[in-house]
Amino acid sequence: MSRSSFKRAESRLGFLFILPTLVLISSIIIYPICYNIYLSFHRVSLNPLKPHKFVELKNYLTLLSDASFVNSLLLTFAYVFTTVIMSTAVGLLIALLMNRKFKGRGIARSLVILPYVAPVISLVFVWQYMFNGIYGIVNYVTVDMLHLFNAPPAWFDHPVLSMALVVLFDTWRVFPYSFMMILAAMQAIDDSLYEAADIDGANSWRKFRAITMPEILPVVGSLVVLRSIWNFYKFDDVYLLTKQVPIMGVYLYETAFSVNDYGLAAAITVILFIIVMTMVFLMRRGGLRR
Amino acid sequence: MKAKMVKNVILNTIVFIVVATTLLPFYFMLTTALKTNKGSVAFPPQIFPTEMTLQHFMDVLNPAIFPFWRYFFNSLQVAFTTALLAVIIGSMGAYSLAKLDFPGRKLIQEGSLVVYMFSGILLVVPLFKIISGIGLYDNKFALVITCLVTTLPATLFMLSSYFTSIPVSLEEAAMIDGLSRFQVIYKIVMPLSIPAIMSVFAYVFMIAWNDFLFSSILLSTPDNMTLPIGLRQLFSSKDYVWGRMMAASFLTAVPVVFMFSLVERFITGGLVAGGVKE
Repeated sequence: MSRSSFKRAESRLGFLFILPTLVLISSIIIYPICYNIYLSFHRVSLNPLKPHKFVELKNYLTLLSDASFVNSLLLTFAYVFTTVIMSTAVGLLIALLMNRKFKGRGIARSLVILPYVAPVISLVFVWQYMFNGIYGIVNYVTVDMLHLFNAPPAWFDHPVLSMALVVLFDTWRVFPYSFMMILAAMQAIDDSLYEAADIDGANSWRKFRAITMPEILPVVGSLVVLRSIWNFYKFDDVYLLTKQVPIMGVYLYETAFSVNDYGLAAAITVILFIIVMTMVFLMRRGGLRR
Repeated sequence: MKAKMVKNVILNTIVFIVVATTLLPFYFMLTTALKTNKGSVAFPPQIFPTEMTLQHFMDVLNPAIFPFWRYFFNSLQVAFTTALLAVIIGSMGAYSLAKLDFPGRKLIQEGSLVVYMFSGILLVVPLFKIISGIGLYDNKFALVITCLVTTLPATLFMLSSYFTSIPVSLEEAAMIDGLSRFQVIYKIVMPLSIPAIMSVFAYVFMIAWNDFLFSSILLSTPDNMTLPIGLRQLFSSKDYVWGRMMAASFLTAVPVVFMFSLVERFITGGLVAGGVKE
């Protein structure tokens, strides 16, 4: 077999192997995205036999003049901002802790990952139990033992407390991801750097600032961007925990499947697309600069 | 010496507190599943159950009382099929991206990472319309395909970075010895990649098993429901029994936690490689 015909065969095989992936991604992601843009300019009829009615920009105009949509958008930014900071910070602190040497380190590392692995539904149920207003352990400790609140806080019904609850839940659930990534970056640092710093008499803080931080900073940066994107369209745990925090994901879901206004929901999706696209774009630019 | 011991004690205490706090909800899940109905609503709340019973687990597992097994097998069917397809289609695609050269390869590689950002709630509205339009609503296969595709970019990334680490010279040597490209893949690359393939299997299984969003819009009859939506429906009424709810939650979490523990060593590395492109 000649060199060039070998190359041709290679390239044919390469295409053949990637074909199933291409077909699947085109039909389940790319086509729906395009179809969604089409839907967003229509009044979507619920009867499959009736055609959708073209309404130009009406869905978008409805959204932008709707206070509840703008409110949901702001709420989402607040949610993303707090959860990203908290889950990354907690992940970093626990990575620092678990990077030290102690007995049972392996098992401790595996155990703290559990919230990330277990099904959301199970975790939501147990949180509902623990934060129950009458016999929940959380209110017992915060109200009856520590007297932090005058009245038992209504975690699932009060808008601000519910926000605190979903932020806390998400932090607890996703910090293991930040933890794993940061820990891996820390393990990649050459030990001799720390040994040299020891000889120079550097304390732990100096070592962290001068050696650890520069090495893990790129990972932390990527984490912040990824988590911002993922949490921007967060849905399940917030939706399952409380009805009081209508972040974009929940707002979109309700518009589609409770109100059954698919055209409006499609327009929300397009707006989310644009925001997420901007984030992806910024991430890629950030990536290039590094 | 003494200072070092004190330091050690402090370190161990902090580790203990961190691990215990993280696992507290799991502790309450299990102990509440074992509490009696009276014990689960007692005030002050029982941290250690005074009376323990296995009744809730027996109720949950009894088909006459509770459709746990039906949901369980639906979940298993969906998660297993999705993971199996992901391994097959993902390996082919990843091998192509890692080892074969063809026009458009770079574009597909870059594109799949962008696609990774577009899943979940962003696909729900059009997918629902399309899938009900082609008559696949309330069909588990629709859920399998959806979970498969939304995890595919991560699968490709994890597998292709692993395949790339297998030296080309190994494959070339085998081909000089007369093996065809298929034989090389089947006899050399795949056996060497078992850890990566297992972690992809476990990762996709976990995503499909835990999925709530897509199941909730694609499935509607109890016969087809997977555990997350089945449990949500069973326990959405206010007169739920905490013990049963916790027993069902616990049993739902066990398979993925078990599977994860088997491949944890590989998967943590894979997730890292998949998430951060460094």
